[in-house]
Amino acid sequence: MKRNVLLPALFFVVLALVPVMTDDSYIRHTAIIALLYAVVVSGWNVTLGFGGVFNFAHLALFAIAAYATGILTKTYGWPTWMGIPIGITASVIAALIVCLPVLRLRGIYVILVTFGFGQLCFQFVLNQRELTGGNFGFVRIPPLKLFDYSFRADGGIGYYYVALLLLLITVLLIHRFANSPFGWRVTALRENEPYAIARGIALARVRLATFAFSAIFPGAAGAVYAQYVRSASPDMFGFSFLTIALSMLLLGGAGTIWGPIVGALVFSVFSEVMTPLGPGRYLVTAVVIVAILRFFPRGLSGIPEAWQAGRKRSQAVPLQSRDA
Amino acid sequence: MDFAEGALQAFRAIFASGLVLSSLYVMIAAGLALVWSTLGIFNFAHGAIMVIGAYVAWTVSIDLGLGQVPGVLTALVASALIGMVVNRLLVQPFLAQPNLVLVTVMTTLSGAFFLENSALLVWGPRIKQLEKLVDGNVFIAGTAISGHEAAIIVVAPLMMLGLWAFLRFSWTGKAIRAVAQNREFAELSGIRPERMYAIAFAIAAALAGFAGVMLGSIRFITPTLGADPLIKAMIVVILGGLGSIPGTIVGAYLVGFGEAMSTYFLGAYWTQAVMFLVFILILVIRPNGLMGRE
Repeated sequence: MKRNVLLPALFFVVLALVPVMTDDSYIRHTAIIALLYAVVVSGWNVTLGFGGVFNFAHLALFAIAAYATGILTKTYGWPTWMGIPIGITASVIAALIVCLPVLRLRGIYVILVTFGFGQLCFQFVLNQRELTGGNFGFVRIPPLKLFDYSFRADGGIGYYYVALLLLLITVLLIHRFANSPFGWRVTALRENEPYAIARGIALARVRLATFAFSAIFPGAAGAVYAQYVRSASPDMFGFSFLTIALSMLLLGGAGTIWGPIVGALVFSVFSEVMTPLGPGRYLVTAVVIVAILRFFPRGLSGIPEAWQAGRKRSQAVPLQSRDA
Repeated sequence: MDFAEGALQAFRAIFASGLVLSSLYVMIAAGLALVWSTLGIFNFAHGAIMVIGAYVAWTVSIDLGLGQVPGVLTALVASALIGMVVNRLLVQPFLAQPNLVLVTVMTTLSGAFFLENSALLVWGPRIKQLEKLVDGNVFIAGTAISGHEAAIIVVAPLMMLGLWAFLRFSWTGKAIRAVAQNREFAELSGIRPERMYAIAFAIAAALAGFAGVMLGSIRFITPTLGADPLIKAMIVVILGGLGSIPGTIVGAYLVGFGEAMSTYFLGAYWTQAVMFLVFILILVIRPNGLMGRE
């Protein structure tokens, strides 16, 4: 039991010391974005990894939270500390709306309807130019301020710790979730839906709760992202953003607590290293996703076991899912 | 202007643009439907294959100056080959997995990402345009459209007829349907499923490539040209019922005319949003599409 706490504690202590070791603004920026990615992808892991439901609107939730935060704090002048609550509220409401049609669908149709929802939001953002800034994005979002301390001061160190705190809370919440009766119900529905329902699990209620729970994370991260970068752009609803988050999730291993986090951090470093390649890095990204799906279906977290099991790999399929 | 005259004018405008859109959607969606009915997967790289087709045609016919016919032919061959590669690398290795549909969504999505960025690397971000295949204008129901668009309107149904006849009467077409219906029995009758999958994928990709060439002289060619038509084609195949070719044709004309009507009455900006709303509603009310089977 103690060993289980030691490694994560060490992980967070090391991350907390990063700003002390370097104040290079480029490294700090990359680190903040990577931490926010880790939070978003961990949230996606709740529906996709634990629940086996392909919610392709997950990144749209992140974008919705960013836009909601931006619009309410800038246009309507709400205090900036309300950012995270606004983001979470907007994201959870949107997730519940997406979940309603999903309750009736399975397999490929879940992907299509959630993907369609993201596109619907994208079109809405483009159309409502006065409200959202349309094509140009929503810019000049007020930065986070607490007691006269602007988080933009000191090279954005405040944002780094906000993002790290979010990640810590994310890990605690998802750990709690995975070991709670609610989490067991979610996993049971993934493993064997008819049997789970026969044993008295209320599919609709559990699924709605799963979507709402998973939406908390992109909601909070979207709000912090908007306040840190100070803009929200329609690109956040696009294919490439979705592909990148998906590769983080697959790289780390869906359905585990630490997989998506490790995946997000490793992928961010990897992608910075590849920056000189220009668009070529996206080619590498695409190849990496396919290679992981082909050879390490359980991601990085599955490699040690795959190593031990030798040639007996591929017995376990990571993304157990309701199929059409 | 009295009401009847206004209605007539609206009808003319909608009829011509609706026909052009529908014909384009038929070409794109037919490939998606063919792959779905044969392999039971949804190819997200379909739009990207279309883009590559348009770029290849541009290189051959404009950059190298070899003329239009070689350009179109090279584009067809190139997109068919890419389709076979997509099938070999992104679909075949995963066929044995129980969650095939979902895994291939991820692999073909990566494939689309790969192809789009390759196009960006090879052809650069500058927009390009193909020459129109047919010059001059044609009048349809009192509205002038370009000869090129008229060609699209005529060619699309002919292509569908050809595809239908191929699947219905030729040995290969029958073998493709046999594999789709019952793989084991097809194998027992001496059909090689892998080969049929490759052929189906090649035909679908060639259809996409052809649509890309057609679209490439109406719109500008960019690496992301395929994204919007792919989404429309998704709506078409859902509406028609996944995998049903007749359903796809009906779906394409419904979506095309619906889009033209909505653009006329609500404006281009709202049309997209309305279409997605309708799309989600159809999925919820009739997930198997208008002509799909249980």
